[in-house]
Amino acid sequence: MTTAGRLEPVLSVRGAKKHYGEVRALDGVDLDIGEGEFLTLLGPSGSGKTTLLMAIAGFTSLDAGAFRLRGEDITDLPPDRRSFGMVFQGYALFPNMTVAGNISFPLKLRKWSKAEIDARVRECLELVQMESYADRMPNQLSGGQQQRVALARALSFKPSILLLDEPLSALDKKLRADLQWELKDLHRQLAVTFIYVTHDQDEALSMSDRIVILDHGQIQQIGLPDQLYNQPDTRFVADFLGKSNFLEAKVCERLGGALDCESGGERFNVTGESSSYNGADRVLLALRPERIRIGAQGTERFHGVVRQTSYLGERCHLILDHPGFGGVLVSAPTWRMTVRPEVGGEVSFGWDDDACVVLAEDQ
Amino acid sequence: MMRQKTTFQLLMQTGAWVVLAFLLLPMLVVLPVSLTPNEYISLPSDGFSLKHYQNYFTDPEWLSATWTSIVIALSVAVIATVLGTAFSVGCWLLSDFWSTVARWVLIVPILVPPVVQALGFYRFWVKLGLIDSMTGVILAHTLLALPYVSIAVFAALANLDRRIVQAARSLGASVWRTVIAVIVPAARPGMIAGAVFAFIVSFDEIVGVLFITVRSVQTLPKMIWQGINESIDPTIAAVATVLTVVTILIMVAVTWRWKARP
Ligand SMILES: Nc1ncnc2c1ncn2[C@@H]1O[C@H](COP(=O)(O)OP(=O)(O)O)[C@@H](O)[C@H]1O
Ligand SMILES: [Mg+2]
Repeated sequence: MTTAGRLEPVLSVRGAKKHYGEVRALDGVDLDIGEGEFLTLLGPSGSGKTTLLMAIAGFTSLDAGAFRLRGEDITDLPPDRRSFGMVFQGYALFPNMTVAGNISFPLKLRKWSKAEIDARVRECLELVQMESYADRMPNQLSGGQQQRVALARALSFKPSILLLDEPLSALDKKLRADLQWELKDLHRQLAVTFIYVTHDQDEALSMSDRIVILDHGQIQQIGLPDQLYNQPDTRFVADFLGKSNFLEAKVCERLGGALDCESGGERFNVTGESSSYNGADRVLLALRPERIRIGAQGTERFHGVVRQTSYLGERCHLILDHPGFGGVLVSAPTWRMTVRPEVGGEVSFGWDDDACVVLAEDQ
Repeated sequence: MMRQKTTFQLLMQTGAWVVLAFLLLPMLVVLPVSLTPNEYISLPSDGFSLKHYQNYFTDPEWLSATWTSIVIALSVAVIATVLGTAFSVGCWLLSDFWSTVARWVLIVPILVPPVVQALGFYRFWVKLGLIDSMTGVILAHTLLALPYVSIAVFAALANLDRRIVQAARSLGASVWRTVIAVIVPAARPGMIAGAVFAFIVSFDEIVGVLFITVRSVQTLPKMIWQGINESIDPTIAAVATVLTVVTILIMVAVTWRWKARP
């Protein structure tokens, strides 16, 4: 796994600002992208992901800030001189050219010889498993096939960075999953830096080396997928990446590495990254639904009444009512459930000391 | 089983046929007249004759006027298509407030009465010394044809994904190469339709020609108009029939070509 810390950054973003009237599409973004990294920009709609990607590509000019490619300032370089490959949600194939024509377009611009072009086109078609489609027109291809061709076209001229703006979101679920594997595989084979934009957290978690979470044009948190999932900094990150229960708690006392907390009339310990808090501090805790165990009455610490259940095959989701916590969302693996929860019935529930994460205040 | 037609459908269909008949009516008059054996405009009473067609195709004056009209219309088609395409592609690329304003301004000539336009041409062309010259007519007709070309090209570009431009640029194409390699090919159906429109607009335009030409430029519509005023020669009907048939053939050819595309 690659992190920017260990490698020379291929691209550096410094103080990137872009305002549209009152809207702050980018509000001071600093980011280093490592050579060969698969970096995902993740955020809700309108968080500034596309604006950042388009600015990197050179289509949107920044109000302030700079981009450096391997140390060289490229802030004012026009897009055709940056040599970044791009893949869009809408494929954007040239409708008047065949598949081979599309893929050879950047090579002809670079004045490759005919033999080189033919060889490279074949190579790229093989890369995306479209060997037999060279002479088709784009409108004779399905969405998934068009996106494969767009990918081959963007990679054909061996760009240093590939920019992808929600490339899979127009495809159906099954195809999307297949292409996620293929994209990951391509990235591993080619060792090209990928900057990938998506609003789909599952996509981000499954594909990325590192994830950048954006909101309101600002970076909320950067980290490895499991880091972000298990140690979210803010309520926004904990809520956006997966589901979370939030508990407002008071720190009663510090016990070595753990905090003795009180919330909803219950006392429990919280271990982990909580070193900066002391007695009488108020904290917000995030608790993943899958970290909560349920059992027959008396087997766990807390007691709740089942408000709602939802059976999902591999998992079962429950909402429990607890007089202090309010509604608590639980996601339990079906095969390990020792009780059959009935709506209105009582169950007991609990969690390990390291299940809760102490969040920083949201800005 | 016959499907029962609603009153609405019946009315619409009858209406469509009536309109079609109305549009074809002039043709139904001109065609028989052109075949009359008489030397004056009349319906053929005893037998048909092609001698008026023969007259048209041999008379040097008619042939010269035809040639003049064709040269003018072809020039107009070429110039208006080049200018109209450049204009539309530019507006499409910018697609900001002022390009939208510019599009509307360019369409205004369609709304202005032809007589008013002709008067305008006359006043200006006198100043510019373009009266009674081929250049003057070509220029005037180009201005009249431009809106049609730009509308047709815009229609062709309406469905073009804007990200295609970004894709081309990211692949290394300059703005200019992007226009040549990607946008113009996408605009081609509109350019062809626009060129045909421009040709037809110029080929049968008469009001402007009457205002800005005297003797040295003689176009076909003007000669027909003068023929009706000065004589009762049925050759006019023969010419009119030929014109209509040629126009229909062009339209059919264009439509057919369009359908044949994948
Ligand atoms: N060309 C533009 N003009 C005005 N506002 C824009 C423009 N582009 C983006 N915005 C605004 O900037 C914000 C960020 O947009 P965007 O980067 O497209 O978000 P995302 O891709 O994360 O959904 C949004 O509020 C959007 O409305
Ligand atoms: Mg977006």
